[in-house]
Amino acid sequence: MNDPVQDQRVADGTIKIFHGPQHPGVTGNMSMELDLDGETIVKATTHVGYLHRGFEKMIERRTAIQAFTIVCRICVPEPDPNEENFARGIEELAGLTISERAKYIRVMVLEMARLQAHYLWMAGQGGSIGHEVVPQWAVGERDFILDLFEQLTGGRVYHMYIYPGGVKRDLPDGFLDRLRDLLDTLERRLPEYDRIFFDNAGVKKRLQNVGVVKRDEAIANGYTGPVIRGCGIPRDVRRDSPYLVYDQLEFDVPTQTGCDAYARALVRRAEMDQSIRILRQVVDRMPAGEIQCKLPKHRKFKLPRGETFVQTESARGAFSYYMAGDDSEYLRRLQVRGPSIVHAYTLLEPLLVGAQLSDVALIMNSLGICPPEIER
Amino acid sequence: MAWNIDLKGLIQPFSALKFSVKQPYTLNYPVEKRQDVEGYRGFHLNTLSLCVGCGNCQDICMNEAIDMVEAVGEINPKNASGLVPRIDYGRCCWCGLCTDVCGPDSLRLESDCIYASEDAGSFLYMPKDQ
Repeated sequence: MNDPVQDQRVADGTIKIFHGPQHPGVTGNMSMELDLDGETIVKATTHVGYLHRGFEKMIERRTAIQAFTIVCRICVPEPDPNEENFARGIEELAGLTISERAKYIRVMVLEMARLQAHYLWMAGQGGSIGHEVVPQWAVGERDFILDLFEQLTGGRVYHMYIYPGGVKRDLPDGFLDRLRDLLDTLERRLPEYDRIFFDNAGVKKRLQNVGVVKRDEAIANGYTGPVIRGCGIPRDVRRDSPYLVYDQLEFDVPTQTGCDAYARALVRRAEMDQSIRILRQVVDRMPAGEIQCKLPKHRKFKLPRGETFVQTESARGAFSYYMAGDDSEYLRRLQVRGPSIVHAYTLLEPLLVGAQLSDVALIMNSLGICPPEIER
Repeated sequence: MAWNIDLKGLIQPFSALKFSVKQPYTLNYPVEKRQDVEGYRGFHLNTLSLCVGCGNCQDICMNEAIDMVEAVGEINPKNASGLVPRIDYGRCCWCGLCTDVCGPDSLRLESDCIYASEDAGSFLYMPKDQ
């Protein structure tokens, strides 16, 4: 029997394919339904749902202490901003005050996480355009950061370290020296990446004028992270509404005006320098003191009635949590809003129209889309 | 439209060739193995002479991965319940909350983390008595 829809597509001269759910464009499962005219995309529709695990409801059914182990799973490549958001939200609801040392350690963890997330992005961006060397190097150097995470937190990817009231463990002996040595190594190596990737004529050809975001839409649609900074708009939660000790640290918010994938790549490259700069300040100024304030037992830890909204800047943009307590040990409501939800729907669908099929993974990676956080 | 040749951008990437004569960072596994990391969250250990069988670890486990089962062998005389934790590694997420709430510090995590078995039932793991 003839399929009328199929016939119409043949008559149009377009074909429909599913790009994904597994492909090099994103870290996770998400597919794009693409209508193609030859190699050119005429319509793109985002399909998510492959990773839905109901994080928000799982968290609402566990005590505040138990739930902190779930939040890191909301984003695989960079779990720590979720831990920070959750811990800070619980602290604001319960009226807890954390020590200066815990704040500095948290900033250190967040910046190490940003750095490793940018390396992972670099590996993905290199892979999506067929660059063979950068993915190998970047994943290797990310592993050196994960080695330090392993020593500090006991885990390489899911750290479960930033905890309501502080952090879970104190720094191991000699950790700051090892971090300082690693920063020296990474800083020495970054110019090599410039030579083979960021200044590479082939890479520029692939990334320039691809995935161009309109600057006036960037603010109206709520884009964040390298996407909005790649449009020349210096928005960064760390600077606009500082948390922890970011107001005491010196760092720049890098911007580019190209609005394309190359501009976003340069923003991320400059952010790696800034993260190293922040980490050096944190290492030099690390105060002594307690790492954790006293918490009640987990069944007796009741969250007072009230609500809070917290934001943390991740490598891919602003992570926001809305949390409400109701005098019980459970959260009444938790809502997670990651940067990818607008990047994957509002931005990506129109951005792909007119693009080439070979640029789909490139554009998705350039926007830093992370499906698990869309399907929280 | 004029075509400007980016000579620097064309030549510079070949500088990566110098790394082809350098030693690799990777380990020749399994001949070489990486060192255990102190504090790594691996398998559970439970010192039976200290465990009081309180069940705090079972209570806090958000994955319901811990069952309190009859102890085999010599146990702490203060263990009134006679029960000790057994971990289901099909459920455990190695968060370490169970070790945090352990009053006598009998339950801990060791660095060892490699386990393979064809028998899914063997993932119900009795922590080593150490």
